[in-house]
Amino acid sequence: MNEPVPRVLLVEDEAQIRRFVRLALEEEGCAVLEAGTLAAALAGAASAPPELAIVDLGLPDGSGVDFIRRLRGWSQAPVLVLSARTEEHDKINALDAGADDYLTKPFGVGELRARVRALLRRQPAAAAQPPQLAFGRVKVDLTQRRVERDGEPVHLTPTEYRLLVILLGHPGQVLTQRRLLREVWGASGGDNSHYLRIYISHLRQKLEDDPAQPRHILTETGVGYRFVT
Amino acid sequence: MPIAKPAAERFNRPQRMVLGALACAATALIAAPLSGTLDLANMVMPFLLTVLLVAVGLGREAGIVAAVLAVVLFDVFFVPPRFSLAVSNLQYLITFAVMLATALLTAHLAAGLKRQAEVAGARERRSRALYEVARRLAGALAPGQVDEAVRAFVADELGGESRLRVDALPAPGAALAWFDEAAAARARETGQTLRPPAAPGTVYLPLAAPMAVRGVLALRLPPFAAGHDDEPALLEALASLAAIAIERLHYVEVAQRSELETATERLRSSVLSALSHDLRTPLTVLVGLADSLTLVKPPLPAPALETAAALRDQAARLAERVTKLLDMARLSAGPIRLRKEWQPLEEVVGSSLKLLQDALAGHPVRVELPAQLPLLAFDAVLIERVLCNLLDNAAKYSPPASGIAITAAIADGTVEVAVCDRGPGFPPGDDGHVFGMFVRGPLAANTPGTGLGLAICRAIVDAHGGTIRTETRSGGGACVVFGLPRGEPPRLELEVS
Repeated sequence: MNEPVPRVLLVEDEAQIRRFVRLALEEEGCAVLEAGTLAAALAGAASAPPELAIVDLGLPDGSGVDFIRRLRGWSQAPVLVLSARTEEHDKINALDAGADDYLTKPFGVGELRARVRALLRRQPAAAAQPPQLAFGRVKVDLTQRRVERDGEPVHLTPTEYRLLVILLGHPGQVLTQRRLLREVWGASGGDNSHYLRIYISHLRQKLEDDPAQPRHILTETGVGYRFVT
Repeated sequence: MPIAKPAAERFNRPQRMVLGALACAATALIAAPLSGTLDLANMVMPFLLTVLLVAVGLGREAGIVAAVLAVVLFDVFFVPPRFSLAVSNLQYLITFAVMLATALLTAHLAAGLKRQAEVAGARERRSRALYEVARRLAGALAPGQVDEAVRAFVADELGGESRLRVDALPAPGAALAWFDEAAAARARETGQTLRPPAAPGTVYLPLAAPMAVRGVLALRLPPFAAGHDDEPALLEALASLAAIAIERLHYVEVAQRSELETATERLRSSVLSALSHDLRTPLTVLVGLADSLTLVKPPLPAPALETAAALRDQAARLAERVTKLLDMARLSAGPIRLRKEWQPLEEVVGSSLKLLQDALAGHPVRVELPAQLPLLAFDAVLIERVLCNLLDNAAKYSPPASGIAITAAIADGTVEVAVCDRGPGFPPGDDGHVFGMFVRGPLAANTPGTGLGLAICRAIVDAHGGTIRTETRSGGGACVVFGLPRGEPPRLELEVS
């Protein structure tokens, strides 16, 4: 057990939720630092920079979105949001502020552990994207701009390819519609949301086994898309 | 008639002429004793002065009478031979001619000037009155005040009556004898000023405001005002002022209403959010802690683990019901705000199946969507909820491992989506009863549920302008079919591969 223990900052005002989340995180081999308020969270993050932050959006002295925004000023550590709200725009705000993923309360421990694992795993990879990727029956070679399915080349249009590359670059992460539009179409992409949906559907038709029930390019309804390997 | 009439209007035409003649006669009588002491040339002067005064005071016609009479009286009383029309020296004919011409010209100019001054005065008074009514209209807070201001203006300035008929307001109760509904409607329709020949003196003006025609201003004017030269322009100005005031009030009301709606909406939303937070937090703790029991070291004995799993399931189920109750509260508490966007149906079907993968485990699901399904405009989050509720019902009320189908078909004007199972189906002749709130089917007693799932579906589909109904699946089972309007999808410019 010489592996460095990942430090997780847990920002949540409800003590009982902290209790079971801490249990689950310790089970994953993490060291947990707890904070019940926005102020304590900022102080904690500054004194011991975390490798992962788990943030509740409704804090007694402010919004979790503010914390994420400030943290992003100096840290690229992944952020998992816990939200009691079902309103999609809260999630979108948190994701646009720099969060990577979210869990809607109530959530199971199994779900939480799976998300934490995924976020911790992708951390070192975020620095440099490997030039060759594979998911399902698809292989992508970023250096050759080549996409293959079952060994057969798949032809993608430039927009489809650009969209795929962005999704591949953020495995497990929820990318908001706004962000995808901006990265694919640039600043003028604001009104193209139906184009985004159509190109996503084309990608699914070309790459997924069952485009109606995709397994890799997932929709987060009302929020955006998530790519999973 | 509050306006003081000028002297010219106080007497009728013959009276004015007689007065002009009398003035000349008086001049002749006063000047007669001076005859002989003054030069004849000087004797002309009082007559010219009289003609000038008569023209100014009594108008042009009296002035002309005075001018002619002045020449005659001058000849009779002052030119030798006196007291006769005969003239001793023919040179006096030149005097008469010049005198007549001067007198006529003076009468004409003086009367014209006077007339112009009067017209200018009247115009100024009208302008001031219009300004006054504009000021009152600008300050009006209700259509009633607009009506009152217009009525006061019409009564004071024109001596007439008016009635303001605003589209957005009910017709005032007391009918006016002269008010002609048909004429008012015609003026409103055509947007043109209407003067029904059958009822002289009545005028119907459309209230044409910058954004729309807002109603009709009806007037009944006394004959002298109706014939006035600047009357049409004046009435148009009045109608336009009233129209602008009515339109301003309309937009004030719209703004106030939308502000109130926004405030209500915000309050409702924050109450529901707080409620949602307060209900979900303890449920999250329950689910999480029950789950954590499985992580305890050393592991708990099997019965305790079973209890933990049951606790977790019940807490999760409770959370689901809370979500449904809050959804229903949100949907039924006021106008539903849709975030409609054009999108393929396939995507929301996929995400619903993914969300319900646990509940659907064991049921083979068949998805059949036509290849050329058009884009539809809908709120994805809400339609996902509809599909999830329908799939959840299908899984709950059908035997394990029985098939569930999601199909779509293009009907005229709509796309119909059906979710079908192999369960017992809906009772025949139910007529949409199952879509009511807290309604549960007769066979549902042994299955946990709230009776809200289908009510939520109907609220959402209704908000999209669609329809929802139940059907019996051929071969047994239930189908719920909902239709979404097709609308006009945006034109796409896609890359060619």
